[in-house]
This record gives sequence, structure tokens and C-alpha cells, in this order.
Amino acid sequence: MAKEITIALAGNPNSGKTTVFNNLTGARQHVGNWPGVTVEKKEGRCSYQGYNIRVVDLPGVYSLTAYSPDEVVARNFIVEEKPDVVVDIVDASNLERNLYLAVQLLEMGARLIVALNMMDEADSRKYRIDVEELSRLLGAPVVPMVANHNQGTEELLKKIIKVAEKEIPVKGLVINYGREVEEEIASLEKLISKDRELSEKYPPRWLAVKLLERDEDITKKFN
Amino acid sequence: MDKQEVLQANEQSLAHLRSIYGDETETVIADARYGFISGLLKDVLKKPPIERLTLSDKIDGVVVNRWLGIPLFLGIMYFAFQFVFTLSVPFMDWIDAGFGWLAGLASGISGWGGSLLADGIIGGVGSVVIFVPPIFLLFIAIAVVEDCGYMARAAFVMDRVMHKVGLHGRSFIPMILGFGCNIPGVMAARTIENPKDRLTTILINPFMSCGARLPIFVLLAGYFFSAHAGLVVFSMYIIGIIVAVIMALVFRKTLFRGVSSHFVMELPPYRLPTVKGVLTHMWERGRLFLRKAGTIIFGVVVLVWLLDYTGALEPIGRIIAPIFAPCGFGQWQAAVSLFFGFLAKEVVVGTMGTLFAAEEGILGGAIAAQLGWTPLIAFAFMVFCLLYVPCVAAIATIKSETNSWRWPIFAIFYTTAIAWIVATLIFQIGSLFVT
Repeated sequence: MAKEITIALAGNPNSGKTTVFNNLTGARQHVGNWPGVTVEKKEGRCSYQGYNIRVVDLPGVYSLTAYSPDEVVARNFIVEEKPDVVVDIVDASNLERNLYLAVQLLEMGARLIVALNMMDEADSRKYRIDVEELSRLLGAPVVPMVANHNQGTEELLKKIIKVAEKEIPVKGLVINYGREVEEEIASLEKLISKDRELSEKYPPRWLAVKLLERDEDITKKFN
Repeated sequence: MDKQEVLQANEQSLAHLRSIYGDETETVIADARYGFISGLLKDVLKKPPIERLTLSDKIDGVVVNRWLGIPLFLGIMYFAFQFVFTLSVPFMDWIDAGFGWLAGLASGISGWGGSLLADGIIGGVGSVVIFVPPIFLLFIAIAVVEDCGYMARAAFVMDRVMHKVGLHGRSFIPMILGFGCNIPGVMAARTIENPKDRLTTILINPFMSCGARLPIFVLLAGYFFSAHAGLVVFSMYIIGIIVAVIMALVFRKTLFRGVSSHFVMELPPYRLPTVKGVLTHMWERGRLFLRKAGTIIFGVVVLVWLLDYTGALEPIGRIIAPIFAPCGFGQWQAAVSLFFGFLAKEVVVGTMGTLFAAEEGILGGAIAAQLGWTPLIAFAFMVFCLLYVPCVAAIATIKSETNSWRWPIFAIFYTTAIAWIVATLIFQIGSLFVT
């Protein structure tokens, strides 16, 4: 009996998410060299080392603040369906902006793998990226790849299995928001933890941060 | 546990933090995240001391230039349509010859079966299938422009125009997608945060001329404007964009007032499109056309043939036809073509093919001879087809994307009204100059 794993692909628009999806599943979804090609989540399957992997391609988003319908789709899937692994496809030539999403995913408590895509592009710009250090600082595995040439797919699959089987820990990320903000987070977190139903479903610290961000979707859950 | 208590505590926290930072807490939090990232990158990322201007940057210096941007965009589009037009002619001739031969065989069969084969299926479906070459070439052209990264620049260039009408460049991406088919165009509007921007973008999308309208343009432009066919087809796309932009302005001033939100357009690097990628994209879109030809177009064409064969079609057409008289095409054949075109726009050509029992090669001539059309009427008819009611599938998509019947029904009526007004203006004003 093959084991079932569900993974979600997240990433900024035009980070090569759909290409990774196609590499993994053998599908031929439309890949465009411009943002906004994936507006809906798509599903595919692949099997690897005796595992049946369900791959869900989420819409490309810059953040998970739930401003637009596609951000809501992406966030709800990760928070509510709790995939075994979330792969965040990151454009290596554009780290600063792309990592914003990775940070948010880690804060949500997602079991994250960072797929560092477009390494060729970064190389051609003479960027030197310390992959191990990045992985250490984020507290999540990082896999360099060039999805366009199907490089790194195998390595990614191996990591997916290991993370799903909890052989590699994903530590998760706690950002320090400064003393005053942290104090408020702590007191809100304490109140939220008393609500068994909500705090079992969502990480209380994450809910507290979202409330402070005045996230409409999360605020509604308290009404 | 009292959830209200949490919310109250949150309000207090927010007020407290606001008093400390003098800034909204969400900004403080976002800043902290960016601070974390830039700290992390100091350890992780080494950039070359001087970043040289990449080739992409150099190309962008020209392509998104304030003055050159729009002329270049129009030039590239014009070139694309010339490419589609010139290259498809020989292929179309071959398919035409093939259907001509088939029709010759079928005409040997007597009775209703022969008529169904020759007039209905070969005339109707054949007159649509012949447009496989231009449609596929159009999809190749779109795929090349998209894959190399220019499409994002086009959106960027149009951003300035869109801002003037109260939308941002992000609305232009759904519009460009609409050139392939309006359905993905309407769906792409999901990336727009502001609901008013989003609805406006959805409602103007049907004016972007989709691939299904190309057969109508190629057929009529090819016959009535043979020397300038490419230019006339190009003008249809431009008219579509202009009407869309005007309507966006109207909507923003009436139905959906308010400020549009800002968006930073991302410009992906230029990449050389791969043959495989381009062909995959062509096939993804083209496949749908072939499937439509085998299903809905085939079905409607047989229905039209049946109604025609039993004599029921003409009375229907004669009821609708007077509506179109001011536009110049008040013949019952034109009326039924437009009527059935609601199901899929290729059907406009398919219906004509059935009615005149002719494939593309002689269909233009048959229309000119039997309906007495002039180039002016043909032009007005093309514009009407460009602007009038989105096809059933597009309407269904608007329904599901807006989650109500209100907007699809509104789209049906307002687009048709605009089509009628514009076609009438073209015909009436044109008649003053051309006889």
C-alpha cells in the first residue's frame, strides 16, 4: 500500500511554480513568462519511492495577507487543509522580495521546503548564495534548482519525502517584532489559547499576529 | 471562551502600539519581517560590487520608453497579424481544396442525406475548420510574445493609459489574455484586489477580440479588403481595445466610483522562447478550438441545416432581421448567423457556410452576391461581431466569477447595445462617404 502525501506549491507570481508543478507531475499546464498565469489551484499526482504524492499548485502570491481572492485561496488551503509539505518556489535572482512569502509561510507553521529556483539566472548575475546558511537561518530545508531545465526535481522529491516523514525537522520561524509588539502578541496569545477550538486549528501566535495586522479574514473568526 | 474578549484586547493592543509607534501596527509588523529578511540576506547573499545593466534592462530602456512604448506595442501587434495572415493563406487553400473535393463527392448523394453532408456538415463545419491555420498561427504569435517576456512589458506600457481611465496595469493582463479567449481573461481578474477594479476588468474583457472571432474577420476581410486584409483585422483588435478602455472609463465614472489601488508591475527577464514551449501553448489553446469544432459548432451547424431544410429558419431570421437594418446587414441570413453566434462565435461563419452551402474559398463571394454586401457593410458586420454579446461559455464564466446573475445579464445587454450603436454609426456615417 503506497503512502499518501499532500504537498502544496506556493510562490510569488512568475517564480516558476507552474514549471515545477509540470516537472513533478508530468502535466503540461500553461506556463507563461509573466505574472498571474495561475489564478486557481490545480492538482496533479506523482509517485516517488513508493509514495503517492498529491501536488496542489496554488495561485502565485506575494504575501498571505488575504487582500485579493487568489491570496485567500492560497492561504486557506495551507491553513485549513494542512498539507504534509509546503514547497515555496523562490526566485533566486530576486530573493529579497520572494522571501517575504517564505517568512509568512514559516510563521504559519507550514512544514516548508524552500525551492531556490532560477539558480542559473542568479549565477549569470554573479550572485553568490550561501544555501546552507539560508537553510539554517530560515529553519527550513533549501533545494537549489533550475526548473526550466528540470534540474533539482529529484533532490526536491527526496526532501519532500524526508520532511513528510519528519526525518528532517522544520523548525519554524519566530520573528521578533520588538519588545512592545511582542508584549501584545504574548497577551493576545494567552487569551486565544483559551479557545480550544481555534487554537487547535491555528497556531495561536500566528492568530495573534494576524489580529494585530488587522487581517479581515481572521478577525471574522472571532466574531 | 469569549471571542469578543480577544477582539477587545486586540483593539486595546492596537491603540497602545499606535501611541508608541505613531504608525499602524501592520506596517510595523511588515517592517520587522523585511528587517529580518535583509539581515538574513547580509549573511546569505553576495552580489557583485557593481551590478552591470543586464541585457533585459537595456532592452527595457527602449521597450517601455515613454514615447516609444505604445507605438512599439502597436507595431508588434500589427506585425503579428500580418504574420498570421500571410502565412495562413497557403494552408487554408489546401484545406479548402480538400473540402471542395469532399463536397464534390457528397453532391453525388441524393435526398436529405446528401444535403446534410454537403450543405450542413461540409459547408458548415468545413467553413470553420478551414480557420485552423490562422487560429493556430495566432496562438503561436501570442505564445512567442508571452514567453519572451514582452507581454508583461505591454501591460506595463498600457499601465499609463489604464491609469488615466482609473484602472491599473494589472487590469491589462486579463485583457491581453482575452486575445486568446475571454474565459481565462475573465478568470485572471481574480488577481485584482479591489472589487470595483475587478468587476470593471471582467465587464470590459469581452471586447478583447478572442480567437473565435478571427474566422469572421479573416473570411470577410479576406474577401472584401483583400489587399489590406491584415490591416483590417488589426483594426478590429484596436477597436476592441479602444471600446474596452472607453467603457472602463464610463464604468469608473458611473457604476464603480472610487480610487483604484496601486500595483507595482513586475517585469520578468527576457527569455528566448523555446520551440517546445511555444508549441505547447499553441496546442493548449488550439485544442479547445478543435474540440469546439467537433462538438458545439458541429451540433449548431446541423441544427441550422435542419431548420433551413424544413423551412423554419427563414421566418425566424425575418423576425430578427429588421433590428439590424440600420447597421446595414438587415438580411435574415445575417440575423440568424448572429443569433446562433451567441453559442460560439465561430458559428457565425459556420451558419453562413451552411446557408450558402459553400466553404471559405467561395463563401465571401457568395455573401457579396446573395446579400449584396459592400466592404462598408462587411466592416460594420465585423465590428458588430467583435463587440456584441460574449459567447455562452464566457457568460457562464462571468456568472461563476461574480457569483451572481446580475453581471452576466448586464454584460449580454450592454455589449450588444454598444455593438449595435457602433455598427450603426459606422454604416450610417460611412454611407455618406461611400456609395
